[in-house]
Amino acid sequence: MQPPTFHTFTRRLHIHLGLFLLLFIWLFSLSGLLLNHGGWKFASFWEQRQESKIDIAVPLNALTDPNPDARIMEFLKISGEVQQQKRTAEALEFRVQSPGIVTDVSIDLTTGSGTKKVMKYNVWGKWRTLHTFNGMSKENPSQSPNWLVTTIWRFTMDGIAVGLIITCLSSWIMWYDVRKEYKLGYSILAGSLGVAGYFLFWN
Amino acid sequence: MKKYYSLVRALHLYFGLFISPFVLIFSISVLVLNHTAYFNRLRPGEDGQPIQKHLAGFQPQPSDSLTAKSILRSLDLSGEIDWISKTDTTFSFPVNKPGLIHWISFNTKTGIASVTRRDEGMLKGTTYLHMMPGQHNARMRGNSVFMKAWRVATDFFVYFVLFVSASGVFLWYFLRPERKLGIYSLGFGLAFLIVLLMLLF
Repeated sequence: MQPPTFHTFTRRLHIHLGLFLLLFIWLFSLSGLLLNHGGWKFASFWEQRQESKIDIAVPLNALTDPNPDARIMEFLKISGEVQQQKRTAEALEFRVQSPGIVTDVSIDLTTGSGTKKVMKYNVWGKWRTLHTFNGMSKENPSQSPNWLVTTIWRFTMDGIAVGLIITCLSSWIMWYDVRKEYKLGYSILAGSLGVAGYFLFWN
Repeated sequence: MKKYYSLVRALHLYFGLFISPFVLIFSISVLVLNHTAYFNRLRPGEDGQPIQKHLAGFQPQPSDSLTAKSILRSLDLSGEIDWISKTDTTFSFPVNKPGLIHWISFNTKTGIASVTRRDEGMLKGTTYLHMMPGQHNARMRGNSVFMKAWRVATDFFVYFVLFVSASGVFLWYFLRPERKLGIYSLGFGLAFLIVLLMLLF
């Protein structure tokens, strides 16, 4: 059996990487559309969110733990990305977020009593959140994800991005091999590079 | 169905070539968005010195958006106004272009505008494009010709991506030698996605 030529390798890589990424491409393409068209009624999520608020009481020993957020989350059986932590002498507040579920916890540090507010999105809201859920904060760029699942999802997004870059570059190589049959490709590629360049370097 | 193969192949190739620079922009921006701290170290933003200019005879306009645009014209600047903040004496707003932000603060009493320029570089420029027009400030968004054009471009980009990916599946289906491995590729992708969704939800 002969080793595959560069052309064959590139072609097979393009096909199979594209197929592997297919559902991810659709997931992110459609969620991108949803994010850009917040006014689409069929995909509205904010108005349909479900909110609940319950009183809670956590064991006082959880509050003296070096990492009380984790102990409280364990006690309340919630998991997700911890954000917006605020601690004063009297109270502890934090938000736990996973795609489609936002939980705000507020605890009185002297008594251990507090509240848990939960907001749940519908399927459209969950889908939108998947697009932006990377555990990063615009206000604090040095912040890293603190939930293992967020880290996995973030590296998956990286992998998809690298996969798409490879798919693009391989498409250029594949077209170059058949450029004589598809001469319009020169104009199309030059035109699209021009349009993309206009948007990127418009300043 | 096979009679359409040549046509679909040509369309897949041409549409694919057309969207490829945009795919690169969106893909690179994902890496920048997910590793902001690293890219900030690689290419820190450069802040310019604030410049002050007296806008003689400036008149407020009927709306905040028009007032901001009028200030921009007086300063000979252009871009997408991100949001507007007002107090009794100041009228402030950032104006964005990919990788470039101008912070403008106009004192309505003195008529002096202060402009601070921040150059964030091309890589951050890709993240700006990625997040625009986006879900926030929907009423404000699209106040520049650039953003109106980009809004249309992103929509077309998505529709082309959907066409190119679907036509790719069509073309693969007719490649008998690749069919078995292709089913595995699709299956692995599906299984990986299901596992991730189970973890996330």
